[in-house]
Amino acid sequence: MNDPVVDATSSTPDGPGPSPSQDAAGHPGALLRVENVSKVYGSGHTAVTALDDATMSVDQGEFVALLGPSGSGKTTLISIIGGLLSASSGSVHIGNVDVTTLGGKERTKFRAERVGFVFQSANLVPFLTARENLLYVATLVKTPKKAASQRADQLLEELGLAGRAKNLPEQLSGGERQRVAIGRALMNDPDLVLVDEPTAALDTALGRQVVQLLRREIKDRGKTGIMVTHDLRMVEYTDRVFEILDGHLTHVESPSALGH
Amino acid sequence: MSLAGSEIRRAKLRFGLLTGAVALLVFLVLLLSTLSGALVGALIGALQGLRADGIVYADFARDNIAASRLDPGSAEAVAAVPGVAAASAVGTFTTAAQIEGASADVQIFGFVPGAPGAPSGLSSGRLPESPGEVAVDGAGQIGDTITLDPAGTELTIVGLLRGAQFNALPTLYTPLETYDEAAAATNPGLPFVPVNAVAFDVADGADAEAVAQAITDAVPGVKGYTLDTAVALIPGIESITQSFGILVGLTFVIGIVVIGFFFLILTVQKLKPFTLLRAIGTSTGRLAATVAIQITIVVLVASAIALALTLLAVQGLNTGIPVNLDPGLIGGTIVAVWIFSLIAGLLSIRRIARIDPASAVGAR
Repeated sequence: MNDPVVDATSSTPDGPGPSPSQDAAGHPGALLRVENVSKVYGSGHTAVTALDDATMSVDQGEFVALLGPSGSGKTTLISIIGGLLSASSGSVHIGNVDVTTLGGKERTKFRAERVGFVFQSANLVPFLTARENLLYVATLVKTPKKAASQRADQLLEELGLAGRAKNLPEQLSGGERQRVAIGRALMNDPDLVLVDEPTAALDTALGRQVVQLLRREIKDRGKTGIMVTHDLRMVEYTDRVFEILDGHLTHVESPSALGH
Repeated sequence: MSLAGSEIRRAKLRFGLLTGAVALLVFLVLLLSTLSGALVGALIGALQGLRADGIVYADFARDNIAASRLDPGSAEAVAAVPGVAAASAVGTFTTAAQIEGASADVQIFGFVPGAPGAPSGLSSGRLPESPGEVAVDGAGQIGDTITLDPAGTELTIVGLLRGAQFNALPTLYTPLETYDEAAAATNPGLPFVPVNAVAFDVADGADAEAVAQAITDAVPGVKGYTLDTAVALIPGIESITQSFGILVGLTFVIGIVVIGFFFLILTVQKLKPFTLLRAIGTSTGRLAATVAIQITIVVLVASAIALALTLLAVQGLNTGIPVNLDPGLIGGTIVAVWIFSLIAGLLSIRRIARIDPASAVGAR
């Protein structure tokens, strides 16, 4: 089955995002507020600072890119934002919840209810079909069966996967697997969707399709999305761009200059 | 949605092989337990099932009923001891017999109907009440005639017993009167037919051990035992039961460890999807429950297969001793395998608890 569900050749995002000149931290009413977050691994002589005093904010409905080379700290940052990792200092607010103050069980619940993840690997549960991968996350928040089935079918339809609902991940192409992962990330109607290198295992055309689809789904639903990538070509589909270098987070005022 | 059930449905070969391996291990434990129980029962079932609170041997017998010889009047002396409610003589010897036209060695017991010393384990028919009647374990059917050699005594089978053998021989229980005739004819010239033991019941509220000691003290030339003590002291039986216990126990432990390793390997193979599941908000408890459910399903299906194999083996094996499945032993073994498999599965669950969800995005 072919992957294309959106125009792969289009380079125009669905709509203009906020101006790149917006201040990185200056959104008191933003859905996501990251304030002075640092992460240090180890201690003493062996201490490594993966993230150094990062501050950013993202409004509801925004889809932003987090750029940086391997080892720069971008994965650490989204892990802290998503409640997968604890920060050494600083705070992360999603809505009115400070993620950094949550205990282990609370963070697990928080991830299930408020965050959707699209990982570059470890993507789908191999022994569940595409539809079951979506339905499973609904059980984590105890969504009634009928409502969950309707939502899963609707998402699969929107993602162009209605005919692949009963296929296991091993029977799907790389692009289809990423689309199922997007559906799973949106299944519980999260506030925030965190996407880690969604195009890493895809060729350029397929990568563009997936990111375009991701943008459309996030925008149509009014969700907030952060996409970690080191692929500059994907930046055009996002509203704003942040860059991390050696653990330092900066807001990129002119993304068009990044390619140079 | 059940992760446990979904995975089993989608990995039938893997779980089928695992279930087959567990079934063979459970079968081995069940068969060894059943056979060892049957052999021990065939050796000492007669004494284990004796309807009495205690038994008295001659003091020179070294705890061995076959070596014991008592005057038939000993039963009256034992009955006179305070705390004894009733006492009666029990005799036994090994002889040859014609059963269904074939010659065989048999163990014959003589007892007083309705008195201490009668056998238990009646599976059909009734216990003998009149001279010439016999109840048997492992020889013939109701209505058959058994002829004792060389006495020529003819006995009619009126009841069938289970778990009442002695020395792993077909065992016959007949009234003491008939026993005396057969013993006298087998041993011509004896001035009287000795008995081997006196079985006794204690009065209500009396302590069997204290009464046994009182008999030892009060009646010259005898030694009293509670029935349990007498069974435990049968020469060689302790080492036999210990050896079988070690054999069955080791098989059980090795089986459980292997089952535990199976599930640990299965868990380690699934660390990647488990990490993903933790990352998207699945609790450790739910993943642990998934493993526990899978262990339960595998053990239950494997136990059913093992039980069927054991039934077939018991019917097909010609061991020379009556082998019967003990529902208590089987149920206990299966429950023990399940519980210990879950405990062994804790290794898997510990491994799951150590999963770092952040590793799903490579943030460590």
